[in-house]
Amino acid sequence: MLGVCHEQYGQSDSLFKAQKLCNEKKYNEAIALLEHAIIDAETKNDPHTWHIRSYAYLQNFKLSGTSNISKINLLDTSLSSALISIKLDTAKNYTENNHAFIKNGAGIYYKLSTILLQDSLNDVKSDKLYSKYKSFTRIINQDFDFKARDVEYYNTMGSIFADLYMKNNFNQKQGEIAKTSLQKVLEIDSKNISANINLGILYYNQGATLMRMMDYDVDLAQLDIIQENAKKLFKQSLPFMIKVYELDPNTEKALESLEGIYSALLDEEKANEFKQKKEALNKK
Amino acid sequence: MKLLIKYSLIILLAFSTLSFQQTQNYDTNAKRKAVFLYNFTKLFDWPEKMKSGNFIIQIVGSNVNLNQELNKMASTKQIGNQKLEIKITTSLDPAIKPHIIYLLKESTDLLKDANSKYKGNGTLIITEKTGAAKQGAAINFIVADNKQAFEYSQSNAKKAGLKPGDEISGLAIAVD
Repeated sequence: MLGVCHEQYGQSDSLFKAQKLCNEKKYNEAIALLEHAIIDAETKNDPHTWHIRSYAYLQNFKLSGTSNISKINLLDTSLSSALISIKLDTAKNYTENNHAFIKNGAGIYYKLSTILLQDSLNDVKSDKLYSKYKSFTRIINQDFDFKARDVEYYNTMGSIFADLYMKNNFNQKQGEIAKTSLQKVLEIDSKNISANINLGILYYNQGATLMRMMDYDVDLAQLDIIQENAKKLFKQSLPFMIKVYELDPNTEKALESLEGIYSALLDEEKANEFKQKKEALNKK
Repeated sequence: MKLLIKYSLIILLAFSTLSFQQTQNYDTNAKRKAVFLYNFTKLFDWPEKMKSGNFIIQIVGSNVNLNQELNKMASTKQIGNQKLEIKITTSLDPAIKPHIIYLLKESTDLLKDANSKYKGNGTLIITEKTGAAKQGAAINFIVADNKQAFEYSQSNAKKAGLKPGDEISGLAIAVD
């Protein structure tokens, strides 16, 4: 509920009514008045006008359901109004509330970005909302360190799209999104186990797919080309898995994958070495 | 409320189970071998007496993935008019007259016996052990530059009663 009373600041009658309507949770009616207030000469430069508008739109959005992506324009309007209020609010009377609105809205953007990934599989829209989350968070906290969030977000995106890539018959676009996302994680944290493993598996699976999809009657010249392409992918997979193994020699997934990669590279000796290491680990 | 629960679960799943992707559990080597074997059926001409009945590929030794792959291949492919049949054994079975006999590594010791048993009868002997092409195998699988390749002994193929096509020499590492 808005805590700033109109008598204290002396806003116009319509502004007072809008605030009252907000307190009565009649946000649509409040918004209708506020749309006039933001163009009215008397109220348009008043930070309170924009502050109430931010609140009304934020609440209206929440009423539609905080996961309602189709109503995202309400949230956009709320946060842009808060920004205008901050700009006009030289006395800093509304700073705390405006920051709270922005923090709240930024959190919703983040949540929606993850829903878009999982539910509607829209990576572009998701990324856009994630960027909004970051830019609004930065407004209220310039020193916020996004590294952990970036790692979490892009690992999730990479993981989801790598999974989709496999499920959807090795959809090239989804594979590329997965790779790009996981690479972003490694740019931030080159030692990230999850991103290294998932990228390694992604390349390995691409190579294995080339083999799996090959018809039995490809001629030997074609087979050589397919083997060469698969070999390149297996070799691309290798450094990621070796890194995980170096970081933690007891990561079973890395041992298992290294056995598989070396086996696919027809390096029996190395494949056996990792097979034995995996078996020794399981005996512990 | 249901929608709220749904989205809460989505977010929970997305960020609490950053799971690793599943490695494809697929033996690429078995597939390569199957493709090679199928190609070999086209690169040699078998004696007339072998051109009726099923086309038999006999595997001597144990390789479950290869067996599965070959059986899958046999269910979809034919060799000319001949139905493809895969036989798995642990020894040289006198009751089987194979068109191709593939001695897996652990069965290489049977190479000498196989040579004498199948000489001139139209059986292509394949092995996968270093030096086996010089000891009687017509085809010996080897690894070259992380890829599957094969050595080829034309004289051993001819001794086996097979007519090699012109193409095979260009695809193989010749040993004679």
